[in-house]
Amino acid sequence: MRGTLRWTRADLRARRGQALLTIAVVAGVVAALVLSTMLLEGAVNPWKGLFARTRGADLVVYLSNAPGKETSELGTLRYVRTLDAYPAAPATLEQARGSVKSPVQLTAMPLTLPSISTPLVVSGTWLRKSAASGVVVEASFAAATHLRVGSLLKVENLDGTAQVGLTVIGIADTTDQGFYPQWTPGLIWAQAPVITKIEPKGGAQEEVVDFRLTSPTIAPTVIVDEIDNLYNFSPDSGNGLVVQRFYTPQQVENSMASNDRLIGLLLGLFGVIALVAAPCAIANVTAGRVLMQRQDIAMLKALGFTPGQVVRMLLAEQTGLGIAGALCGVVLARVMTSPEFVRPPDGTSVGLGTLPGSWVALIAVGTVATVAIATAIPAWWAGLVSPVAAVQASPPRGHLSRIARLGLLVHLPAALVLGARDSLTRRLPALLTVFGLAIPMVMITIALSCWSTIDGFSQDPARIGLVSALTVTPGSYTGSVPQLIRNVGTAYASSEYDTTLPSGSGTFTALAIGSSSGPRRFPFQVVSGQPYSRRGEAVAGQGFLDLMHLSVGGYTQVQIGSLLITVHITGRILDPDNNGDVLAFGQDTLQDQGVSPVPGYSVILKRGESPAAAQAELLRLSNNDLDVTLVPNPASSLGIVRVVVAVSVVILAVIGLASLLTATAIGLRDHRHETGVLAAMGLTPRQVMATLVVNTTILTFIGVSSGTVVGLVLAPRLINLQGQASGLGSGIAVGLSVVTVISVLFVALGIATAAALGMARRTMLMSDPAAQLRSPARPGPNIITTR
Amino acid sequence: MRQHLLALLAKESAHGYELKSALEQIFGEAYPSPNIGQIYVTLKRLEQDGLVRSEDVEQANRPNKKVYELTQAGREALRAWVEEPGEGPRVRDEFFVKLILAPMAGLAGRLELINLQRRHYLGIMRNLAGLQAAADRAAAAGREDVPARLLIEGAILHLQADLDWLERCQEELL
Amino acid sequence: MSRSALKGLPSDSKALLHTVGLVKMYQADGVSVEAVRGVDIDVGIGEFVAIMGPSGSGKSTLLHVLGGLEKASRGEIWLRGQRVDKLSTAAWALLRRRHVGFMFQFFNLLSNMTVADNVELPALLAGASPKQARKRREELLAELGLSDKASAAPARLSGGEQQRVALARALANEPSLLLADEPTGNLDSSNTRDVLRLLQRTHASGQAILLVTHDARVASMADRVINLFDGMVADDAPMLRIPRPVPSVRDVLELHG
Repeated sequence: MRGTLRWTRADLRARRGQALLTIAVVAGVVAALVLSTMLLEGAVNPWKGLFARTRGADLVVYLSNAPGKETSELGTLRYVRTLDAYPAAPATLEQARGSVKSPVQLTAMPLTLPSISTPLVVSGTWLRKSAASGVVVEASFAAATHLRVGSLLKVENLDGTAQVGLTVIGIADTTDQGFYPQWTPGLIWAQAPVITKIEPKGGAQEEVVDFRLTSPTIAPTVIVDEIDNLYNFSPDSGNGLVVQRFYTPQQVENSMASNDRLIGLLLGLFGVIALVAAPCAIANVTAGRVLMQRQDIAMLKALGFTPGQVVRMLLAEQTGLGIAGALCGVVLARVMTSPEFVRPPDGTSVGLGTLPGSWVALIAVGTVATVAIATAIPAWWAGLVSPVAAVQASPPRGHLSRIARLGLLVHLPAALVLGARDSLTRRLPALLTVFGLAIPMVMITIALSCWSTIDGFSQDPARIGLVSALTVTPGSYTGSVPQLIRNVGTAYASSEYDTTLPSGSGTFTALAIGSSSGPRRFPFQVVSGQPYSRRGEAVAGQGFLDLMHLSVGGYTQVQIGSLLITVHITGRILDPDNNGDVLAFGQDTLQDQGVSPVPGYSVILKRGESPAAAQAELLRLSNNDLDVTLVPNPASSLGIVRVVVAVSVVILAVIGLASLLTATAIGLRDHRHETGVLAAMGLTPRQVMATLVVNTTILTFIGVSSGTVVGLVLAPRLINLQGQASGLGSGIAVGLSVVTVISVLFVALGIATAAALGMARRTMLMSDPAAQLRSPARPGPNIITTR
Repeated sequence: MRQHLLALLAKESAHGYELKSALEQIFGEAYPSPNIGQIYVTLKRLEQDGLVRSEDVEQANRPNKKVYELTQAGREALRAWVEEPGEGPRVRDEFFVKLILAPMAGLAGRLELINLQRRHYLGIMRNLAGLQAAADRAAAAGREDVPARLLIEGAILHLQADLDWLERCQEELL
Repeated sequence: MSRSALKGLPSDSKALLHTVGLVKMYQADGVSVEAVRGVDIDVGIGEFVAIMGPSGSGKSTLLHVLGGLEKASRGEIWLRGQRVDKLSTAAWALLRRRHVGFMFQFFNLLSNMTVADNVELPALLAGASPKQARKRREELLAELGLSDKASAAPARLSGGEQQRVALARALANEPSLLLADEPTGNLDSSNTRDVLRLLQRTHASGQAILLVTHDARVASMADRVINLFDGMVADDAPMLRIPRPVPSVRDVLELHG
């Protein structure tokens, strides 16, 4: 045991650089994984972060309210620590868009933000005294109904007897209920007088109560029963408060999940990349170490270390480094995600809530385990090293000798020929180099392809189905909307209908736009099949096809409003807006069936016109009467993926460099044995060094280019796979441009050659070829760490 | 030359010319071609010393030839020569001759001879090493004698060379 | 160097090391090659035995097999009265810790440890405390005149110094038997003398040594010299004591001739 410790200590001291490199690699991988998981959580299920930040309620109960009843008694219930109660009124929101009026719920809130389930204002302000008819709209509802700060609403009560005009002064997130439209009604917070105006008469008022319980694990039914008991058996009960419905945080969490699947999948891809690249790199570095230390290992065995001991020693050493790296990674992730450093991009509800400790532990342990497994094979190999410290017993097999001789005959530079022979006769170190470089290059290429795909989203939105950049509704504009739009682009009349599947298993968006044929036909970019060409035909997104288990060419019946419509699906489009859950057809298909589309327009901008500028122009021309909304580009929320790509590329580059340095060290050590001979043969020192450089460069070139080629082949497939799985649809991948590929190759080769050259120079300066001849096999100083 | 002839005769009796051609055959280029006159003179001396005796053999149509054979005394002298490890400047030549001839005479195996010589050399080496150590101690105590040291070192190197040569003999001849 | 009593040797066996019909075969390019072909040797307690022979005679292989670095193909090996040829690699490793010290021609020292660490490692491995190991190391290095090099890296030492450290390392655990494979093979004349002197001193204090060498000087210091030829013992004889009169330069000239 002590012997093991002593050797390990000395070894780490002697190989400080490599050890630090291993720690850095592991730390980077762990930090990247933790970060990705956090982002994944935030993107795929923002609930956690949001719940923490808004101090979400442990239980939300809706009580039907009879006038005069107090809800303060609820505070006396067992298990209830505190509660907040607000009157609420169901109503409908009338908007020019869509034939269905949106169901909303107006909740009366105080001017000061409450302490339980605080709405998180992301845009605008909270309710203020100066804006009596100002309201705050919940973010997902606002997104679905295209409301923004300053939008005007008309809210009508259920009876239709009262109407009130409201202005949106703020948009906020809450975890009181799930996202709209999966979860209805849409939430609008307003001041109390507004509620009074539209609350239904006669007992249809509601009270919404946010509970903070003594323990979050208490079953909600317990509380609900107690409420029932309290009010149904109360002495003055006539009409008791009755629990209409209640929501648990769990329900809300489940509903908020998988909001945008593409992000989740892409981030998952990076997690996989990290988990694949890291062990490969670590195995590579460790194998290289064993190769270099073969003589030392043989000596250890001659001293009396059993093979099992040697294996365990190497494993323990590497695992120890892995643990150190994992701890550093966790700390690094903590620092990187602390609120001081990172704010979530505006407008998105992607939160960076802290991961529970168990997750972090899982990631750290998993990475360390991967390190251990990656080390296992080289360690086992070390155990097999014969204790007879063999000098390089047989010279490397000269398969190339004939060719080499030919090359020299033809007066090729000696350095070139010898360098080439070198790299092709020492198989194992050569393989290590090639793999050590190829695998990170594959990953880097995939990562860069993700980046270029996202770039493609923003540069050429039409490619991913964002053909129109603006949607316009008349708002309060009375003139001809199409005419106005002609100033900035072409208008296509369009209406959207949120439709539920007959089985109730999901919803999709039916889009009636333009006409089915002729010049008014909307130019969908179809990725497979054909665009529709007549009434009754439609194109669909991948998500819809998956939902309905259809493929292009099939027929389907959908229910829009109260009507059943049959369409023939002729092609598939990409649809980032609704995760591909969209069915699009000409408006005349609807007219066929007697549904009148509602005025609304999709605008395809003129060439060179920026969406923001066009929006401003239209608003100006219409005196702000027109309602113009920008179509959101997923590239904005996928911006996080860019960050992850950048971080991944850096980590992968470090990993690749680590492998390269190890491999170069081995090559140099092997080469040192020969420098004396080469010098004696008549090669100048510069030629000798050139041999070295050629050797490394050939291997580097093979590794880098093979990795890049494999990456270029795999990347579109993988990315399209992710696109398909997310419902967006396959076909989103944008390959890397030739310029990018060449630059990447250049940079990679440049860095690799520079590193190799640097090491070679250092070795040449330190070793003396004549000395090599005198004592042909003396172990020299350790290259990487001697300073 | 004496021992060579004794050794040859130990194998079988022969006359002068047969001995000459035997020597030429066995030693080939390594040896100067033996002079028949020298052979006869040596044979006569050996006879005078009682180590060989001669016999006249009659031949038809030719003068009588003298056939020589080894006496008991001669046999013993030969044995003594074989078993005595050689020293001195001509040791290699003599040892080599022994190595070639002795097995033919049935007196000793080659391996035996080599081992014998080697053990002897090692013993000498030990003495030389002792001398060297003494010289080192003297030098450390201030009584440097460079010529002596160099001579000792030279002797050691030569001895090492001889031992290496013995190994070569062993490799080639066994 | 004080020599502690031999550990637990049965009193009736006078041979420390004893082999019977030792054979070692190799596979080279599909052909079986016998490197050691039926070797019977003995090394007594405290005896110094040298093995000489031409290259390819199997000397190094024999030494490796005797030290358990390679497995014997056939035959028996008895060490300290115990049969060891069938031991597993791990068992041999344990045996080597306490009873067999090794010295090689090259690569004797661990390159990533200082001299001090190198010499202390065997002691630590055998279970000594760091303090004990350090004490032993200081003793050994002082004896060998290397105390000032304790914290140096092996690469900074000359060949002779490295071999001396290797000797210290091999003796750290006071092994029953010291095996050395051409310990002076890589050294020049004066370094050879130094190492030789040390070996003699070690032997004088009771250490059993079995070494393989080309150097006649080294072999001549042994109690017995074994000549190995083509994998078999060609000669096995105690060193002759050739009486000589008081040596003088003249005698040397005569010897040399």
